[in-house]
Order: sequence, then structure tokens, then C-alpha cells
Amino acid sequence: MTVSRGEVEGLLRELAPQVLTALVRRYGQFHLCEDASQEALLAAAQQWPSGGLPDNPRGWLITVASRRLMDQVRSEQSRRAREELVAAATPPFELLGPPADAEPADRDDSLALLFGCCHPDLSSPSQIALTLRAVSGLSTAQIAAAFGVPEATMAQRISRAKQTIAGAGFDFSLPTGVERTERLRAVLHVLYLVFNEGYTASEGDTLTVPALSDEAIRLTRWLHRLLPDDAEVAGLLALMLLTDARRPARTLPDGSLVPLAEQDRQQWDQAKIAEGTALISAALPRGEVGPYQLQAAIAAVHDEAKTMADTDWTQILGLYDLLELAAPNPFTALNRAVAVAMVRGPEAGLEVIAALEADKRMARHHRLIATRAHLHELAGDPGTAAADYLDAARRATSLPERRYLALQASRLAG
Amino acid sequence: MKYLLLIYGNQEKWASIPAAEWPEAIARQDAFNRKYRATGELIGAYGLADEVQARLVRRENGQPAVTDGPYLETKEYIASFYLLDCESEERALQIAADMPFADVDPVEFWPILHEAKPDL
Repeated sequence: MTVSRGEVEGLLRELAPQVLTALVRRYGQFHLCEDASQEALLAAAQQWPSGGLPDNPRGWLITVASRRLMDQVRSEQSRRAREELVAAATPPFELLGPPADAEPADRDDSLALLFGCCHPDLSSPSQIALTLRAVSGLSTAQIAAAFGVPEATMAQRISRAKQTIAGAGFDFSLPTGVERTERLRAVLHVLYLVFNEGYTASEGDTLTVPALSDEAIRLTRWLHRLLPDDAEVAGLLALMLLTDARRPARTLPDGSLVPLAEQDRQQWDQAKIAEGTALISAALPRGEVGPYQLQAAIAAVHDEAKTMADTDWTQILGLYDLLELAAPNPFTALNRAVAVAMVRGPEAGLEVIAALEADKRMARHHRLIATRAHLHELAGDPGTAAADYLDAARRATSLPERRYLALQASRLAG
Repeated sequence: MKYLLLIYGNQEKWASIPAAEWPEAIARQDAFNRKYRATGELIGAYGLADEVQARLVRRENGQPAVTDGPYLETKEYIASFYLLDCESEERALQIAADMPFADVDPVEFWPILHEAKPDL
């Protein structure tokens, strides 16, 4: 039976954390196990599409990875490590483990792995890189390509992150209490960043550079299956789906940006909107309302409006008020200023922005200046709006965004 | 986010550094490069050849036309450049300030435009 390369990639993504956790459980030594597990995944990616799937893909991967691990240790001539491995080694039949989803222990191990990759001692870029490699099973080359850095740089980042994890004594224990809440927040933030990176980056060859937004959705869906009762996990998944639903409409074929107000809403993905709306509708009544649920609720209100004019801005403003209480942040405040403008008029929105300008860094940020430009235009002051759009364009660091802002400036100046 | 760091200088300035101090200066720069390669933040570090080796390349009638010299007549030329990929601008500025020569001459700091498309 032949399988497509895409199907194999999908299956490997699913099995990657299970193989790595099984290996670490058996042998310890996170760093070496991760390398061995990665090599087994690469071997499978090369062999399975032409040779067909083995009877027990998970067992196959664990067996191959274990062999690679032994080879590694042998080639390093590390007697001590070899002895430790021999002591830890188990009969081969145990490696032909049960099917992928049978063991509840798998669930906690996978969760512990994800929590480990988001360890607070790691910087955000390192947390992201390690999660994509250890949990998603992506190769260093794929991750490097997705982030537009050389493979050597990404390899360095991953290697250092693995050493940090190993140094912190990764042992599959799940954090409890406040620490668990904190760590889960870090995990959600990493998934959110991966989604945003993929949502914003230019599309590459989906096989060599997997779409990061799709991968973030897959991981969050998986986390939601592991923690079905967590309302913020459901909220984040809903937020991703409701945002991703607009992807077909937010850029033109030439790569230029289309703002929400001008998007062709016929192009929005209704299946994703329905799924996201169902998730957030189920999560909100539970009463543990957090920032991801509130952002998802805002996205849902936008997505259910047939036209920009149909948008329920009063409801959106109410949600932003709650969001500001739950997670105060200058960019949330900036988005809230737009909602204020839509409900109470542009002057009221500009007052909100003026208050934000007290923060010097915020005052120079292109997002603030661009939002102010938009509100000046709504207030019937195209001259000030054009000047602000131009200033915002000069301060933007994203090329498509800069082009968009410059275009607005010339439209108003012309 | 990616950032470009530029160091400027000229022969006169470098000639004024006593030869005995060079090994230490080079060692400090090597240590800086190693440190930030290890964190996965320094993508590349390159020193440029002397300005007499700089060329201007045009195409005239479909043929390359090469003339001597840097584009601009200035007192100082780019001596080396460093490419960073960092979590934030704050972090990149912190690394720039850690450049061995930053206590003598400023490091020119440029954010690099990226293709990311923000949500509008």
C-alpha cells in the first residue's frame, strides 16, 4: 500500500511526541533521545512514501530510534553512558508498543514534553524552535526555512535549548498549582506566536516549509484533546480558526494587504468560522473567561457580520473593555480605540489614542500612528491622516504593511 | 526580527591602534561572535576588505562595467557587518551595545524589513 508524502508527514507529526517521550522514558538523556527520534522520523519520511507504512508505525519509529541511540552512544565510545543504557534497556517486544492512542500515560507524557519545551529558562524563539522540533517533529532545516534563518543558526538555537531542558532535569513530572497555570500560559503563548508567524509569513512550498499557522492549529487542536476542560485552550483554538478563516480574503494575488473593511467576505472559510464559533460558544459560559476567549469572541463578532456595516461594534467594545481588564496591553488598548471610534465617533477614539501616547515607545510605534491616521480620516481630516500614514509607513518593518500604509498616504494626498 | 549592525572606520584610525593591542582586540571580537552564535542570534559576522578593493559594478550595453572605489566619498567606510535574528528590538540593541568597540565608536543599527503580513 503506497501512501502520499503528505499523509506520511501528517502521521509523523502525530507520532513525533509519542516516540520521543517513549524514548526519554526508557533511556533518559533528553538531548540524545531527541536526536535519535529525529533521525527515525527522517528515515520514515524517506522510506514510507515508496515502501508503504509498517504494520505498527509507532513501534517501527521507536525501534529505529532506539537503534540510532545505541549507535550514537557506541560511536561516542562513552562507556558510562552505554552502561546506563544497557541498564535501562528493555526487551525489544516492549518497544512494539500499543497503538498510538491507547495509553493514558502517553497523554501526560506528551503534555509534559510540551510543557518542557516551553520552560521559562528559554527565550521565546527557543521555546518555539524546540516545540516545533520535539513536539511537531519538524526537521531543523524545515524550521530554519520557516523562520528565514540559516540552518546552522537554528541548529544552534535548538541544541542550546535542549541543553537547557536537560540541565533543568526533564523528568516528565507535570507542574501543579500556580506553576501549572503559568506554564500552560507559556505554552499557549508559544502556540499563538507560531500561529502568528505562519499567519504572516509568505507561503512557501508546503512540503518543505510546512505552513506554521496550520501546524499551530494542529498542535492546539491536539492540546484541546488532551485538556478538553480548559476554556483558554478552547479559546485559543477558536481564535486561530476564526482568524485563519479570513486568510483567503486578506491578501490579493500580488501579495498586497486587504484590510478587514474591504475584504470579500464571500471568501471567508465558513467551516472554520462555524467550528471556531461553536468552540467559543461552549467555552464562554463556563465562566473562566481569559484573554484568548475574549479575543476569539471579538473575532467571532467580526466573522458573523455579513458586511462591515453590519458589525456589532457595541458588543465588540464591551468585549475589549473586558479584555483590557483581563490582560491590559497597549495593543489591546489601540484596538479598543477603533471600537470606541465606531461606537462613539472618531473624536472619542482619538482621545483614547492620545492617552496611549504618554508611553514614548508606543507613541513612535507604527501601529499607533496608523490607527490614528485611520481615525483622522474618519473624522474628516485627510491632511493629518495622510501625514500620519506616511509616518507610519516609515516606521513599519513589514514590507507589505509598509506598502499598504504608503498607498493610503498617497491616496489621501492625491 | 532581523537586524543589521554596521561598524565604520578607515585606515588612519586602525593604523593608530598599536600592533600589540590587535591580538586582544581580535580575541574580544571572536569571543563576541562565539557568544552570540551559540545563542542562535548571530546569523553572520563579516569583515570587509580595504576600501581600495571596493568596486562599482554597472551594466552598460548588456556588458558589466567595473570601476574602482566605494559609491560614496566619505571619511569612514563600512568595516564589518553583523546579521542578527532576535526576539525583540530591545534584545538586539542589547547585543549591539555588547559589541567590543561600542565603547569607542557607535554601532549603526538597522532593522531589516520582513515579508510578514499583519492582520488588518
